[in-house]
Amino acid sequence: MPIVSVLAALFAGAILILVSGSDPIRGYLALIRGAFGSPYNITETLVIAVPLTLAGISVAVAFRTGLFNIGAQGQLLVGALAAGWTGAQFSDLPGILLLPLTLVSAVLAGGAWGAIAGWLKAARGVNEVITTIMQNYTVVFVMHWLLQNGPMTAPNAAGTPASSPIGAGAILPIIIPNEIVPLSRLHAGVLLAIAAVVVFWFLMWRTSLGYELRAVGLGARAAAQAGIDPRRRMVLVMFIAGGFAGLAGMIQVSGLFHRVFDGFSAGFGFDAIAVALLGKNSPIGITLAAILFAAFARGGTIMQADAGVSSHLVEVVEATVLLVIAAEAIVRALAVRRGTPAEAIA
Amino acid sequence: MPVLLEMRGIRKRFGELQALDGVDLVVNEGEIHALVGENGAGKTTLMNILYGLYHPDAGTIRYRGREVRITGPRDAIALGIGMIHQHFMLVPPLTVAENVVLGDERGGPRLDTRAIEQRVRALEERFGIVVEPGARIEDIPLGLQQRVEILKVLYRGSELLIFDEPTAVLTPQEVDELFVIVRQLRAEGKTLILITHKLREVLAVTDRITVLRQGHNAAQLVTKDTNAREIAQAMVGRELKELRARQAVGTSLPILKISRLEALSDRGTPALRGVDLVVREGEILGVAGVGGNGQSELAQCILGLRPVTEGTITVGATDITRDPPKRTRARGVAYVPEDRRAEGLVLPFTVADNFILGKQDHAPYARRGILERDAIKRDGDRLAKEFDVRPPNANAIVGTLSGGNQQKVVLGREISESPKLIVISQPTRGLDIAATEYVHERLLEQRARSCGILLISSELDEIRALSDRIAVMFEGRIVTTLDAADATEERLGLLMAGHEEAATTA
Amino acid sequence: MELLLGAGVIAATLRLATPIAFAALGGVITERSGVTNIALEGCMLVGAFFGILAADKTGNPALAVVIGLLAGTALAAIHAVASVTWRADQIVTGMALNILALGVTSYLNYEIYGSGVPSGVQLLPALSLDFLAGVPFVGGVIGRQNVLVWLALVLVIVLQLYLFRTVAGLRLRAVGEHPRAADTVGIDVRRTRYWAVLASGAIAALGGVYLTVADTGSFTDGLTNGRGFIGLAAMIFGRWTPLGAAAAALIFGYGDALSVSLQGAAIGELRFPVQLLSTIPYLLTILAVAGFVGRSRAPAADGIPYESEGH
Repeated sequence: MPIVSVLAALFAGAILILVSGSDPIRGYLALIRGAFGSPYNITETLVIAVPLTLAGISVAVAFRTGLFNIGAQGQLLVGALAAGWTGAQFSDLPGILLLPLTLVSAVLAGGAWGAIAGWLKAARGVNEVITTIMQNYTVVFVMHWLLQNGPMTAPNAAGTPASSPIGAGAILPIIIPNEIVPLSRLHAGVLLAIAAVVVFWFLMWRTSLGYELRAVGLGARAAAQAGIDPRRRMVLVMFIAGGFAGLAGMIQVSGLFHRVFDGFSAGFGFDAIAVALLGKNSPIGITLAAILFAAFARGGTIMQADAGVSSHLVEVVEATVLLVIAAEAIVRALAVRRGTPAEAIA
Repeated sequence: MPVLLEMRGIRKRFGELQALDGVDLVVNEGEIHALVGENGAGKTTLMNILYGLYHPDAGTIRYRGREVRITGPRDAIALGIGMIHQHFMLVPPLTVAENVVLGDERGGPRLDTRAIEQRVRALEERFGIVVEPGARIEDIPLGLQQRVEILKVLYRGSELLIFDEPTAVLTPQEVDELFVIVRQLRAEGKTLILITHKLREVLAVTDRITVLRQGHNAAQLVTKDTNAREIAQAMVGRELKELRARQAVGTSLPILKISRLEALSDRGTPALRGVDLVVREGEILGVAGVGGNGQSELAQCILGLRPVTEGTITVGATDITRDPPKRTRARGVAYVPEDRRAEGLVLPFTVADNFILGKQDHAPYARRGILERDAIKRDGDRLAKEFDVRPPNANAIVGTLSGGNQQKVVLGREISESPKLIVISQPTRGLDIAATEYVHERLLEQRARSCGILLISSELDEIRALSDRIAVMFEGRIVTTLDAADATEERLGLLMAGHEEAATTA
Repeated sequence: MELLLGAGVIAATLRLATPIAFAALGGVITERSGVTNIALEGCMLVGAFFGILAADKTGNPALAVVIGLLAGTALAAIHAVASVTWRADQIVTGMALNILALGVTSYLNYEIYGSGVPSGVQLLPALSLDFLAGVPFVGGVIGRQNVLVWLALVLVIVLQLYLFRTVAGLRLRAVGEHPRAADTVGIDVRRTRYWAVLASGAIAALGGVYLTVADTGSFTDGLTNGRGFIGLAAMIFGRWTPLGAAAAALIFGYGDALSVSLQGAAIGELRFPVQLLSTIPYLLTILAVAGFVGRSRAPAADGIPYESEGH
């Protein structure tokens, strides 16, 4: 079923390309080439897939419990800011201390940010969609301030406002050395991502907590009468979700950019929602969906450079995927409903 | 009096259930007609067909002598039929007047509040129904809200008014006030049909009575010529079943003691108005009563799923009144809820996973927070066999099982840990004979083990077959508690319909 | 003081509040009928792009407004079908449409204008109230505001009257609070919601049109930059009424205006954190929905797809 949505979306994209006078075949070939056509291209795709997978897990963990985490973007940025600050502040520490410290700070910061939304929902019944959207924008502006004329502004920064570079100890090393793949940016974050996928799987399907979260998501009333308190779980789940997203932010800082700057990693949060839905909130599905979307993103830039088709087409394709997924959920629900007999008797 | 409405040979089936099987209803103009029966008798279905919400599979409807087809509420309203629903169809933030005229505002595009309120006030005066037109629905009590529903129907010129369980949400004073309104409506030439299971109302205001039982006509009576006993017998009457002789088991120590329990319903009305009951070890206490008299809320309060406003609940020696579900269950209380699909099971989970619901955080199913998959599978297989789940596949998704097998999964989960008290509600609803017998057997087994069982059921057969003592619940209170031997069908029927007796036993 | 309350700042407040107000008004209409429309941002964006495109190609700013409005309506139509007919999840659909709008407008922008911008486009004029020329303060504030600003003002009043003083508005509110009750008295719930969603798209699009055809004269990718969401925030903060939403939009616009006016300001050695001012709308909204700033309650059936009773 997810395949159908992707194909439908690609088809819609092809129409758009045709309508604006370009060649869809050439465009899509350039896209594929750009994503997977060479070892370097593959590493570039993976570089995008790594944080996207983590953000997707962030959204999926919440979905499994029946919560809608639109705040992955904000949580990612909070994690990135924490990592950037820690990495720069303690830049003299050796890697064996600094790297874990940076990681932990990012996860905790992202988690705390997410937990706020969870708490508001559990204690005050506030819709987490609204809270997380508002939180996202708040973080963006706070980040502007921090980087433009606030405590994290790098001195003597010309051009884009940015933070001070992190210490060498906080850097995730490049994993495929430049002798094998020249200019490769693929860093050890990919290992962290793989570990995170495993952690996600283990958490949800092998622990008591994961069982409880899934029970609340799939049968809240049954879970409640069995003694599982949905509201306490909400805060915890949003903390975990925020933690995963925060980790994504940390990876971007430690592995890729080595500092935070204005406009950092924009758009991951929203793509993460599509990734989670397309991947059906499951570990393998999310990983594959993340690679797919990363391929779109990476291939899109090449498609623009080589075939002259605007990379923004990729957004059109992504949106169509989401729309088809949304529609497909109804089709399934409608099929189920036809079997149920009326309730009101007597 | 001429005949206003004639429904003949009405049949309606919902899936497997034949809700109405050739039912007749004749209502004379200008009378107040009671449509009486237990849950599942078919009264609401019949009226929903009259109001156009359902289509009958067979049968005819004649209104004022002409045969009519009613395809939806608009047709019914056009004929002059109005329905006052049990769950009000009122928009809370809008005013009384706005709710009355909504959809039929009669004026220009401008909302002329003064004119509308004037019109509503005139209507109120004509029928003697008083409620402030400018008040917002969310600010007025349910008794007054009901008057708005009546006004809505009168505003649209209804001649035949259908009241669906009108006193379900009213206080005793509000009930009396409603009776005054109902008589006034009759004086104004309206015809009324009252759907109810409460004898007091039937005897107080109605002219004639049609009793339904399990989708059939059971009796047609004239109110002034009949009495409570006769009506109750018609509602409930079956051949008396042979009661199995049973020995008393266990001590007479109470395992569950409930005193003066009060609680609110979801809508904020009082659902429990001072419940007292005791369940002893090795005893099955059946709670009989027509659904909606507080039974669901009682079970929820015991489990800690609903806040208690007054009174106490004790299990053994421990007060569990304010305990959350987890702690209550830790005291040895098991719960089989009335809606197994929504409350008893997580449908997309496997059978094995449902068996451990509530036990997923401790041994043997988890160690240090990590699930012990082998133990879960092992016990899943074992319990599936032990509780006759078909097919005995612990990996099957519970949502795919039949109702009977789903109930066995719930039972298996709840009974397997040898509880001290089982709270079980509507245990055999929707189950076939074989599954029903199975459930009854297991309950009797538990009783023999000295477990105390609180059995809530609207199936009188079930109550009488299983209970040692029977408590009848009506309007949020236990009316009377009888020994099984003293609980004749007739007596139970009367009590369930609110008829009061001279003496009560505890 | 001049920085805080000068005529310039207040005039800027009106200008900056206008697109927010349009989005907020659109939100009020749809949510009052019971449909959550997160896609307002997208409607603004398509309004902005197709508006300036039309202005450029036709040379007629009035026509451009209409085209922009229709573009927003078209996007909203997708949301309407998905939410009302298919009963899809309104959040997912809304987000998808936002991304779609971003993609389509950026894509077409690149195809048509490359990396440049249209030049010499005739924009919507300002309404010059010359008789106020000499009046202190007031003259500075409203003497030269764009026609769309005035339109926004008029729209606020019109919608307020519509919702609370007309029969159609009454029915709309009933549909949003208790659709089944409305259904049982014969109101067509689906049709009402359809119209509401389409109208919201049109109104929100006007906000986008303002940004390009009245204000800057050019389009950049992602121009709306979250104003659609600020509009939602204003709607929530304004308790789902047109007047409330407008007032909230003014407050948020003031915050925006301040952040410009205080840009160079300093408290001693530290530069004033104007960016933090921009977080205020969002924080206020969270406080409002959490009930810390009075009770802000959405229409009861908001966001819940409606199924009519079976037969």
